[in-house]
Amino acid sequence: MNAPDRYERFVVPEGTKKVAYERDTKIINAASFTIEREDHTIGNILRMQLHKDPNVLFAGYKLPHPLQYKIIIRIHTTSQSSPMQAYNQSINDLDKELDTLKSGFEAELLKFSKDY
Amino acid sequence: MEGASYARMPRVKIRELKDDYMKFELRDTDASVANALRRVMISEVPTVAIDLVEIEVNSSVLNDEFIAHRLGLIPLTSERAMAMRFSRDCDACDGDGQCEYCSVEFHLRVKCITDQTLDVSSKDLISSDHTVTPVDVPGGDASIESDGRGIIIVKLRRGQELRLRAIARKGIGKDHAKWSPAATVTFMYEPDIHINEDLMESLTLEEKKEWVDSSPTRVFDIDPVTQQVMVVDPEAYSYDDEVIKKAEAMGKPGLIEITAKQDSFIFTVESTGAVKASQLLLNSIEILKQKLDAVRLSEDTVEADDQFGELGAHMRGG
Repeated sequence: MNAPDRYERFVVPEGTKKVAYERDTKIINAASFTIEREDHTIGNILRMQLHKDPNVLFAGYKLPHPLQYKIIIRIHTTSQSSPMQAYNQSINDLDKELDTLKSGFEAELLKFSKDY
Repeated sequence: MEGASYARMPRVKIRELKDDYMKFELRDTDASVANALRRVMISEVPTVAIDLVEIEVNSSVLNDEFIAHRLGLIPLTSERAMAMRFSRDCDACDGDGQCEYCSVEFHLRVKCITDQTLDVSSKDLISSDHTVTPVDVPGGDASIESDGRGIIIVKLRRGQELRLRAIARKGIGKDHAKWSPAATVTFMYEPDIHINEDLMESLTLEEKKEWVDSSPTRVFDIDPVTQQVMVVDPEAYSYDDEVIKKAEAMGKPGLIEITAKQDSFIFTVESTGAVKASQLLLNSIEILKQKLDAVRLSEDTVEADDQFGELGAHMRGG
């Protein structure tokens, strides 16, 4: 009866930003990114990628509530970098990784269909 | 944007490939990426499925809703789905599913006129678009094994009739499982098995046999010539620790060491037939890339931070 619509899970409501950025008020080079309508799929890969960055002192994500379709990623970096820079870098790196994966798989697919 | 790249260079190797089944190795990446791919394949790769049913006549034993539900669960060939629009953001129609960009129409008209029970199956569905048809229909994809009878929807006896119009739309598994192109997607860590040879040789042949047999799956065997224990199938190991416990029980702790390689995964992908298993992986990579692109910071967020960032943060901090 009062169940939320299923599309609520993946359609960003009008007037809401996909990604909201908020600096920490007390610690410099720390911030949280609130990402609307995303879950562990994006949260976990970003967190793990951020851990690869030596300038990142802390990176974590949480799904605050299963019925609030958003995740919060918190990043704390050294003064050498900034949360925003680290965040962008991690997206770029993951994108590159997926490109490598895609071309690698396509080559393998071609090879495989030739061999068998 | 400066800064070194920390991108990895993952490798893939296909082991087995069929239209609806694929087994491959994924290396040099971590569990987060493997799991993201699995999650995307299951719930975010789009397919086409029947979403709206208008029933004209239904005198079958099943009620209208029941039939509509069954129709929704029939997998439809969805190679085109990636290029289609979701009806909710289709401009050509108001999402009422009447246009070719976001929907496909189906008709079903069957009446039983004999004393023999008539099976109504997915083969009786007439599609308005030859690229979107129920799977398993010979002529569509001959390499998928089929008994040629389609997926049964309902059975009719003499005089019963079913007449309906159905609209199939693009959707994702997150919305409803009927849109999921994946039957199962799993990955396992590749095990790294080390046998302590010195300790192993301190066992008698009898003891070796007993130890080999303690594994619930056939991971080890004894070489008939040298009588040495060897690993025959490391992937049969199910991380059950039985052989480790057995070694300890035999008073030989450290006989075997098994660890999971943190950067090597063995994937199995089974498709419903909506898209080929290989295409499913390619689509999932594409979707994941789109998702990453969608979470990039927008220009105005960056600008707002440049202007008021540090100051604003201090003011809010008091």
